Amino acid sequence: MAEASTKTPHCTPRADIGCVDVLPQVRLCGVSKRFGRVLASDDISLSIMPGRIKALLGENGAGKSTLMSMLAGRFRPDAGHIEVAGAVVDFDSPRQAIAAGIGMVYQHFMLVENMSVAENVLLGQEGGFALNPARMRATVDALSRRFGLGIDARARVGDLSMGERQRVEILKLLYRESKVLIFDEPTAVLTPPEAESLFAALRSMSAQGKAIVFISHKLEEVLSVADEIAILRRGRIEGEFLASEVQSPAELARRMVGRDVVLDIPREPVQPGRVVLDVRGLSGNGLGDVNLSLRQGEILAVVGVAGNGQQQLVETICGLARPEAGTVELLGHVWDEFYKHRDWDGALAWVPEDRAGLATCRTLDLTDNLLLTTREGFTRGVWLDRARARAAARDIVREHNVQPGRIGLQAWQLSGGNLQKFVLGRELSRRPRLLVAEQPTQGLDIPATEAVWQRLLDARKSTGVLLVTGDLSEALALADRVAVLFRGRVLGQFPVTDTAQVERIGALMAGLEGGAL
Amino acid sequence: MSPELIIALLAAAVQAGTPILYATLGEIISEKSGVLNLGVEGVMAFASFAGFFVCLVTGSAWLGFLAGGLSGALLCGLHSLVCQVFLGNQVVSGLALAIFGVGLSTFFGTPFVGQSTEGFAKFALPGLAKLPVLGPILFQQDALVYLCYLMPVAVWLFLERTSLGLRLRAAGEMPAAAAAAGLNPRMLRALGTMAGGFLCGLGGAYISLAHMHLWATGLSGGRGWVAVALVVFAFWRPGRAALGAFLFGGFMAFQLRLQATGTNIPSSLLLMLPYALTILALVAPAVRARAAKGGAGAAPAALGVNIEPEG
Repeated sequence: MAEASTKTPHCTPRADIGCVDVLPQVRLCGVSKRFGRVLASDDISLSIMPGRIKALLGENGAGKSTLMSMLAGRFRPDAGHIEVAGAVVDFDSPRQAIAAGIGMVYQHFMLVENMSVAENVLLGQEGGFALNPARMRATVDALSRRFGLGIDARARVGDLSMGERQRVEILKLLYRESKVLIFDEPTAVLTPPEAESLFAALRSMSAQGKAIVFISHKLEEVLSVADEIAILRRGRIEGEFLASEVQSPAELARRMVGRDVVLDIPREPVQPGRVVLDVRGLSGNGLGDVNLSLRQGEILAVVGVAGNGQQQLVETICGLARPEAGTVELLGHVWDEFYKHRDWDGALAWVPEDRAGLATCRTLDLTDNLLLTTREGFTRGVWLDRARARAAARDIVREHNVQPGRIGLQAWQLSGGNLQKFVLGRELSRRPRLLVAEQPTQGLDIPATEAVWQRLLDARKSTGVLLVTGDLSEALALADRVAVLFRGRVLGQFPVTDTAQVERIGALMAGLEGGAL
Repeated sequence: MSPELIIALLAAAVQAGTPILYATLGEIISEKSGVLNLGVEGVMAFASFAGFFVCLVTGSAWLGFLAGGLSGALLCGLHSLVCQVFLGNQVVSGLALAIFGVGLSTFFGTPFVGQSTEGFAKFALPGLAKLPVLGPILFQQDALVYLCYLMPVAVWLFLERTSLGLRLRAAGEMPAAAAAAGLNPRMLRALGTMAGGFLCGLGGAYISLAHMHLWATGLSGGRGWVAVALVVFAFWRPGRAALGAFLFGGFMAFQLRLQATGTNIPSSLLLMLPYALTILALVAPAVRARAAKGGAGAAPAALGVNIEPEG
């Protein structure tokens, strides 16, 4: 399918993609965009058809967002042009793109939390100087009903869940009668049931003639929702297919990353050692009678839909919250004793979920970020031994293949995957005997995910790993045992080899089967 | 105290609170659009001179009042230029504006010190002025006080019930959302700052044209700072701003009376009284409201945060 990535200046996308006799709603013709020395989009031609769902599949940094930002009028292409319904357009601002019927749901929602749903939907399109709140609400409620989105126009956006906020974003586009709806990694913030209802909404909108563009790096969801798939790699279209043509996800993954992906990582068995974490009857602070035990050499995955007590559990184990009732023993010491004199190394390490906020400081360089949790190892009297810290940071960067590998860079200049590799490297350099890893691969592309998984598996030789994740496939790929958390309670705990129990995980996560412990 | 004295005291309180209310409402508009303007004191000082000067030259009090507002908008345009175009720090720019405005008023105003002007005279509102108690307090004032009664409602209607108000608030809460909706948040912020500056200027002009009827240096006397503080205690709500402004005016008038009676309380302590009491009166319910309901009474989310260019 090399002909899909055409070099000719005219638009010659594959003829059998989309309906041939229908005019594309939007057509990109040889579009290129350069940021400094990086060619973020390289001669891209794509057709976006009404009534079809097109998935744009690519790793982080493949140029998906740049491409869509040009469609949304945020950047102008350096070369090539964009056509809307057959006419060439040149967007100066998002306003013009909106007027041309192109709407975008960004990964970070563009919503005003302190305003109502109705106000958010009508912002910029109020129609008249004086506002009529009753009519605004009625309009938005009617729209929400028509597309089955189930959003109350009166609600304050700040009170809504992530899934509901996303539907508010969709309402904004529907209100503007956008013909093309672009979704930038829409499932990144959703729970599995919310993602399902999003897919249903996408199909319903596509059935009503909207052109949908779905940006993602998750193969399964792309295959389940898209009609057409375009693969983007290093700013170029690597291939374009109908979803029905795709033989296997592995084939798609290979085209996306340009090499074979080992998503099924071989695990050597490790003999479990001494108990490093023992939680007995932990209650209070949103938790109810949690019992967990973890040995060196083991990975225990705590799975569940976000917000079911994972955060409270991790904060208690990692020393941010004192257990209210029950006991927590770390490396054989009770909580109070452990945190009274804890060692910076050889004890506990934590890879928090919020890698850009809790784990690192965005405007500090990598050496300083290393020192955040390891400074006790680099002190001489009252002084910091920065030379040694820089050397250690350099080692981490090299050993974990952090790109770009300059330790003088500030944390925000690294992509999410590379920052995560650095954080993991930092925490492993503390030689922990208990490692808490929270959503360690959330938002990472496939090679970075693979690297993190491999590190965690290697680490368990000397460590007990508590893996808190919402990604079931991650839990099953890595863990020795799985515990399902629902509303602060452990509803089930079993080895991953117990296939009968593993089948029930989905139901347990949804709290449908709470009885059997 | 005799009833007559209390009524006179309250009438004086209304007059003392009026310029503060104009300025507080102006600062609310500015902060709702996301711009912290600490320059209110300077804006009021300069506007009080500009209003006085124009009134002196043209003989029209209303032209003077308008000039006060325009000069306020102009000075705040400077603040917009620094913060929206050059992305300067809002706190530093605001403080500079406060010093600059006061200095400017002294520079231009020195030759006119001690000159007086007719300005706005008090007149009884037909009908309403005859009301017992309330009439003499509220409705035997000058035209600008009557106008000021309407202002909290007008500002509330503007912010909550007009599309421009909605857009301004969006620029103050989440500029990126406003931009994604095809709006220009920097332009909106500049507009909010200058509209707010206009109201602050009206407050300044009130002092020289309707309260003092003369020009002297330091006429604004710290009212701008009071306005900035009141915005926070008023939860950015125009209605509560009115309460706070008139409360402050009341303590101010009361303190003056107390000094006039020749009490042996040190005058510096009395001067402090309005500030301390107003803060106490507004803080108590504020603390309770915040504890009861998160979100209510919170500052605009992007207040004081500049809009960085992307890319």
